Amino acid sequence: MSSQSPSLTTRKPGERIFCFLLVLGSVYLFWQAYKISGFSSLSSPGAFPLAASAAMVLASCITFLNTLKAPAAEDVRFVYHCFPPVVAFIMALILIYSVVLESLGFVLTSFVFLFISIQFLYRRSPLTTLAITLLSLIVVYIIFRLVFQVVLPEGIMPEREILSSITSLWR
Amino acid sequence: MDAFNYFAMSWLSPELLGLTALGTFLGIYVGAIPGLSVTMAVSILISFTFSWDVNYALCLMVGVYMGGVYGGSRTAILLNIPGAPSAIATALDGYPLAKKGLAGEAIGLSTVMSVVGGFVGIIVLAIAAPTVSEFAITFQPRDYMMLGILGIMLVGSLSGSSLARGIFAGALGLLIGTVGLDPMTAEERFTFGVVELWDGINPVAVMIGMFGISEALHQLHHMNKAVVKQKISRIIPKWSDIKKYMPLSLQTSFIGVIVGALPGTGGDIAALMAYDHAKRVTKNPKVPFGEGAKEGLIAPESANNAAVGGAYIPMLTLGIPGDAVTAVFIGALFIHGLNPGPLLLVEQPHMFWFTVGNLTLANIFVLIFGLTGIKLFSKIVECPKGILIPLIFLLSIVGAYAINNAITDIWWMLAFGVFGYFMRLYGFPVGPVILGVILSSLTDENWRRAILTERGSVSDLFINMLHSPLSTVLFSVIVLILFTKSPIWTKWLKRKVFRPSA
Amino acid sequence: MKKTTIALLAALSLTSSLTLADYPTKDIQGIIQWGAGGSTDTVMRSIAPHVEKELGGDIILTNKTGGVGAIATKYVNAKKADGYTLLMGAENPQMYKILGLSNIDYSDMIAINVLARGTPIIVANNDAPFNTMQELIEYTKAHPGEVKFGSTGPGGLTSIVTAMLDSQVKLNYISIPYNGDGPALTALQGGAIDVMPAVLGATIEQIKAGRMKAISLVDVESNKLLPDLAPITDALPGMKSYLPWGPFFGVFVKKGTPDEAVEKLQAAFQKAAYNKDFVDLMQKRGFTIMNISGKEADYFLEAYRSTSSWLVHDAGFSKFSPEEFGIRKP
Repeated sequence: MSSQSPSLTTRKPGERIFCFLLVLGSVYLFWQAYKISGFSSLSSPGAFPLAASAAMVLASCITFLNTLKAPAAEDVRFVYHCFPPVVAFIMALILIYSVVLESLGFVLTSFVFLFISIQFLYRRSPLTTLAITLLSLIVVYIIFRLVFQVVLPEGIMPEREILSSITSLWR
Repeated sequence: MDAFNYFAMSWLSPELLGLTALGTFLGIYVGAIPGLSVTMAVSILISFTFSWDVNYALCLMVGVYMGGVYGGSRTAILLNIPGAPSAIATALDGYPLAKKGLAGEAIGLSTVMSVVGGFVGIIVLAIAAPTVSEFAITFQPRDYMMLGILGIMLVGSLSGSSLARGIFAGALGLLIGTVGLDPMTAEERFTFGVVELWDGINPVAVMIGMFGISEALHQLHHMNKAVVKQKISRIIPKWSDIKKYMPLSLQTSFIGVIVGALPGTGGDIAALMAYDHAKRVTKNPKVPFGEGAKEGLIAPESANNAAVGGAYIPMLTLGIPGDAVTAVFIGALFIHGLNPGPLLLVEQPHMFWFTVGNLTLANIFVLIFGLTGIKLFSKIVECPKGILIPLIFLLSIVGAYAINNAITDIWWMLAFGVFGYFMRLYGFPVGPVILGVILSSLTDENWRRAILTERGSVSDLFINMLHSPLSTVLFSVIVLILFTKSPIWTKWLKRKVFRPSA
Repeated sequence: MKKTTIALLAALSLTSSLTLADYPTKDIQGIIQWGAGGSTDTVMRSIAPHVEKELGGDIILTNKTGGVGAIATKYVNAKKADGYTLLMGAENPQMYKILGLSNIDYSDMIAINVLARGTPIIVANNDAPFNTMQELIEYTKAHPGEVKFGSTGPGGLTSIVTAMLDSQVKLNYISIPYNGDGPALTALQGGAIDVMPAVLGATIEQIKAGRMKAISLVDVESNKLLPDLAPITDALPGMKSYLPWGPFFGVFVKKGTPDEAVEKLQAAFQKAAYNKDFVDLMQKRGFTIMNISGKEADYFLEAYRSTSSWLVHDAGFSKFSPEEFGIRKP
């Protein structure tokens, strides 16, 4: 099994650490699976997770050993090829988005998120960005909130009041 | 004669015809948007069509169902975000095609083959419904378990160059699938005392994260690269292509019907099994699987649409839902004052042929709506990345939230997106993860039921397995695949047999 | 942005002047504890349009599943107590405390309406070598550890009915769990299990079609839908102390909701539940219409909780004793 990765002859920066973390994670999950019901019986709730996590431990160990043997790839830098700043920035942006989504509400957070990320990635005039942001937000809002009645987090905006006051204009 | 009249009901009435068309059209878009599921759309339609005549409501819903199952392939091909779990296998070879500028051709081909699959499903429903449903309910827990194992063996064909990495990914998926309160004993598994984890991690959240988010993050590497121009000269596939792939499409359609008709499995598993089948029977694909093989696109698309007809089989004849959507259909019939159950066709004789007619009509509309507007759709991929990528993120987030109106699903999706990013970076395939999540409960629960039935004795399980013809067949198939076709074995053989001479 | 601001201000002024005088001023969100297509979902979706007519406002129905309904219950109780978030649920929360699933049950909420109650029934595969309750008991005793009982996990209807049975006769059988009565009843028809307790509504069509056989009705008297089926008390008179018992569907709001909103909701649901279409629908599916609120509903809910909690506790699969929560012994 160990010599089965002919195409992965070199390793990227960070690969060894990643694979080692997977081994650690797998062992932890195996321990957690064991805690469910131990090795009590084949039909216990823990039997299947135990088998799956055992497979993870085994497979991750093999992969890790393979990366130990593989020579480092040349001319590949972690910060440039594997985890460029732009990826980190967007990841951070999404993280912030998901944390504040519930308290600020969907409309506000999405507006800010779209505006910043489009401005950052597309780099046109803020007005163009604003127009694209508003347009796409309106389309998403109509599809999800109005047509499919997914009540998106309202946060600080009294959406339902606004909606009912708008509909009451028609009545 | 009666049968024909009922069959033609929705064809001849302009209102019913219009509603079916509208439903199919809506369905394609519902299916294409990740997080919006056909199940959800049909439930909303129940409230919406509450006061309507039942036939009108059914036309609309059948359209949404047929269109929705097909629609999932759209975003899978264009953006690598399957619109629904049944389109996961479609993304594996569909998205590489779009990257090569062949999105139009891929959508065209998948449309035609979806319709072929749809028709196979409908034909089987029309001529063999009672037989198939009687067959479907004889599946015992051990048979479902073996179906699950058959599915898990697909890890071999999804893992690309490194089998160990594929196995890791598949096992991780299986483990993710077990998170939550065990449905059989209410034991907590990997919940760490968090209530939000009781219901487990939603497969759709994992799917959107692993496919959509991680792909979008990778796209950020190539911001400066020009977008691939899509060739849209050919949309309707070549006749020679259709003829060439027809046998494969028919075979996988039959897989789709049977898996769809089983009450415990649906279009997602059907599509994955079809993909595996295609990979095994195609000896020399023009393009390798995973890099844009047309076979890998056709097989799952035929199978998941064939599963629609399949799912109707137990529903119409026995009142047993074949999948989640038909379960909602049963609720809808009930709300409209009908009695869905084994007597439905006795009390409402028109229902059977009316539904068959309706499905046929919806399938034709899939062809029409599927083949029009492809040019516009292909343009999505040509949209500047600076705009497209933020929009993919937004849509993924809203889609994840829409699954169960829960913020936690968003967090999971993002976590798997970031994890998936690193997995891809270091050569781990993400397909097996989703495969594992989908097959986890099927295998786990039925394994335990099978063992409980035999009072904990594995030897009894094997003995009884060999007494049932169905179980014996399934078991032999597993053994056969394991020993002849699976990459584990062939690779081993290659090493042992060919290496010394090389 | 300007427009939104104007609309926002307009809305704020509207709500501040109208909040109490004219409930509902905005859409009401109905959180359904179970998934699309389930029986709770079906019942709620079929009553909602009638309620909307009475209230003159929209109810947005949302399925929020998970943790045997505990996630939906928690969600509704985390929202403002303004009558704009309804919990549409089944009987499960009444067992949360003793199963350790949540510290909130219906006694911590206000009942808007307990709509209907189901009757449990014991059904068997057509080929099973018994036809009545007495025969089932005798056969199981003669063949210990052979009869396969379907179950739907601890705390569910099947577990409580089997707990009732166990309190009367000691039986030795294999219990095979399924997630939900739908899959279990399918398995019953395929012969993967022999017997199982289920709710009448889920089995009636199959029984009428002869696809499974009814063994006994878990009630003190026969039901109109199956007049020939003997109640379980004929074979096991001791069961009388628990019966009538059955799963139910109800609508609830958070404690602290203004009286005005509660009264409006109660009136609307009460009227809607009298609607002929709804009554027909429920009766055809073997549900007994309750349509109760206020004290009457509280009494019913309390009785359900005490019977079920103690049964489950005595059968040994509760995490906590009902005594800890002051649940009286029936």
